[in-house]
Amino acid sequence: MREAVPEPQGEDDLIRSALAGDDEAFAGLVRNHKAAVLRTAARFARNDAELDDLGQETFMRAYQSLSSYRGDAPFGHWLSRITIRACYDFLRERRRHEKDVSLDALAYSVADPSSGAVFSSEQARLILERGMSRLKPADRLVITLFELEDRSVREVAALTGWSETLVKVRAFRARKALKRSIGGENER
Amino acid sequence: MNDRPKDDRDVRLERIFAAAKTASPDVSGVARNFETRLMARIAESRGSGEPWYGWAWRLAPAFIVLTLLLGAWTLVFDPVRATDPGTMLVAVAEQVTLVDDLTGG
Repeated sequence: MREAVPEPQGEDDLIRSALAGDDEAFAGLVRNHKAAVLRTAARFARNDAELDDLGQETFMRAYQSLSSYRGDAPFGHWLSRITIRACYDFLRERRRHEKDVSLDALAYSVADPSSGAVFSSEQARLILERGMSRLKPADRLVITLFELEDRSVREVAALTGWSETLVKVRAFRARKALKRSIGGENER
Repeated sequence: MNDRPKDDRDVRLERIFAAAKTASPDVSGVARNFETRLMARIAESRGSGEPWYGWAWRLAPAFIVLTLLLGAWTLVFDPVRATDPGTMLVAVAEQVTLVDDLTGG
């Protein structure tokens, strides 16, 4: 279950000042929220350079649309939606140029379920990266939010702007596709 | 029999998810001075307003379409497309008369 993150003190003041053109105030907002944004973005980026790009793209979008923030939800929630949107666009863009990630060093024997293998987090990350690189961006997004970030259907729907029914359907299909992708890899 | 591999793949997938979740990604390297880099990028984007010729390039497709339409219109509606000398003479005479009327000649 995800813990509610308390709104940092003075956030409203920072937003007002940033809207009035105070760059230092916006930098303060970035300082307060960069860890959360980067943690989410790190699920989609393959290295630090991509993560930095994705983080900056997210905050650039937030900066450009700050005037549309109405304050009816915590700033962090509003920023989460922008983060997810940026990650989704990033995945779609990357898919156009993507080639298979080379994982020659990965010992796939550990993925044999009959051996009762235990995965290290790094092995699991690599297997998932490879398996998910073949999924559609929407499938990858929904798997990441559901399975790795433990978000609920309602949360995923709110973050992506999709209906709850669509989220459920996509989650089911994405899981099936990922099983096929990882299973097929392992059976080679 | 057929369900057996499906079960195995489910188990394996759960194991992979569980292992991937145990480690939260290390973002400390990127987080260091992140806001400094970002604010520099924002300042740069604010300083580099688009030059006027940026707009000119954006209008280029519209001008191309307009040119093509005008070209097509000229081909379809040109009334003096005749090749015989008589028709051409009449057309020239009409033009001369029109010019005289307009210029008071």
